[in-house]
Amino acid sequence: MSDCQGLGDCDDARMQRIYEYLDGALTHSDIAEIKDHLDGCPECLEEYDLECVIRKVVKRSCTEAAPENLKNAILDRIHSIRPVEA
Amino acid sequence: MSTIDPAVAAIYEAAGNEAKNNSRHPADAGASADAAASADTGTSPDGARSAEAEVDVVSETPEQRRLRFERDAMQYVDQLYSAAMRMARNPADAEDLVQEAYTKAFSAFHQYKPGTNLKAWLYRILTNTYINLYRKRQREPLQSNSDTIEDWQLARAESHTSSGLRSAEAEALDHLPDSDVKRALQAIPEEFRLAVYFADVEGFAYKEISDIMNTPIGTVMSRLHRGRKMLRDMLADYAAERGFKAATDSGAAAESTTQENRK
Repeated sequence: MSDCQGLGDCDDARMQRIYEYLDGALTHSDIAEIKDHLDGCPECLEEYDLECVIRKVVKRSCTEAAPENLKNAILDRIHSIRPVEA
Repeated sequence: MSTIDPAVAAIYEAAGNEAKNNSRHPADAGASADAAASADTGTSPDGARSAEAEVDVVSETPEQRRLRFERDAMQYVDQLYSAAMRMARNPADAEDLVQEAYTKAFSAFHQYKPGTNLKAWLYRILTNTYINLYRKRQREPLQSNSDTIEDWQLARAESHTSSGLRSAEAEALDHLPDSDVKRALQAIPEEFRLAVYFADVEGFAYKEISDIMNTPIGTVMSRLHRGRKMLRDMLADYAAERGFKAATDSGAAAESTTQENRK
C-alpha cells in the first residue's frame, strides 16, 4: 500500500491507528501526533480520507426511516402492557 | 481477571453520561445534535424534572413511567429500525424485531438507570432480542474487564481537513449507489457487520459496543478492524465493477473521466 511507517510499521498497524483516531479512542497527545503526521504525509492522509469516505457512504446508505405504522404499533403495544412496579 | 476499580467505574459512569455517548466521527456534525437532543430530554415543560438523572424511579407511577418512556425512548425508532435492517435483512422482520425490542425495553424500563446512555441500552436490548429471536446462537461469555480503557481520557479527533486532495478511489467510493453499500455490508459476516454499523453509523465508543454486543473491548476492536477491511475491499470491487477503476489508474484524472467511464 505504501512505504510510510509514520503511523505503524505495517499497513495493519497504520490502519489501526487511523481507525482509533477516527473512533475517538485516543488520548489528546496521540491525536496531536497523528494529526501532525497526516499534515505532512500524503500517503497516510489518502488512507485517512478513504476511511472518512467509507464512513460517510455507510452512514448515508444505512439511514432509513421506520415505516409510518411502526411507531403506532409500538405505542399500541406499550399501552396494552401492565407496567412492572419498580 | 482484574475488575474495574470502583472509583474508576464511578468516573466512567459520570463521564459516560455526558459527551461520551456520542459520535466520535470528526466529520460528523449531525451526531452532536442527536446528543444535544438526548441530553435535553430531561428539560420537560412540566418542570418537575429539571434533568433526566433526577427522575425518581422508585416513586414514579406506572403512568409517569410510560410517559417518560414515550418521551425518551420513542425518538430512536428510526435508528433502531435502520439497525434492525442490518440484522433481519428484510423490512417485515426488522419491524417485528424493533417492536419486540421496544416491548421488552418498556417492560424493563424500571431497570434502566436514568442519566445513563438510553440509546445504548435500547441497542443492547435490540441486539439481544435479535440473537434470541432470530439466531438462537450461543451467547458469548460476559465481557471481561481485563481491557479497561480509560474512557474519560479519550479525546475526539477534530475534523482533519484534507484540503481537497481526495484520491480518485475515494471519489469513486463516494459515488457508489446506496444499494451497493448495503449489499457490501450485508455480505460481511454478522458480528463484523454489526460492530462496523455501531461504530460508523451510530458512533458508539468501543466500550459501548462491547456492552451492546456483550463482548470484550479487544474483540470489538478486532471485529472493527477486520470488518472495515472487508467492507473496504468489497466496496472497491463494486466500484471497479461499475467502471470507476479507470479513474484510479489514470492518477489525478478529472472527475469527467469518472463520469465517462461510468457509462
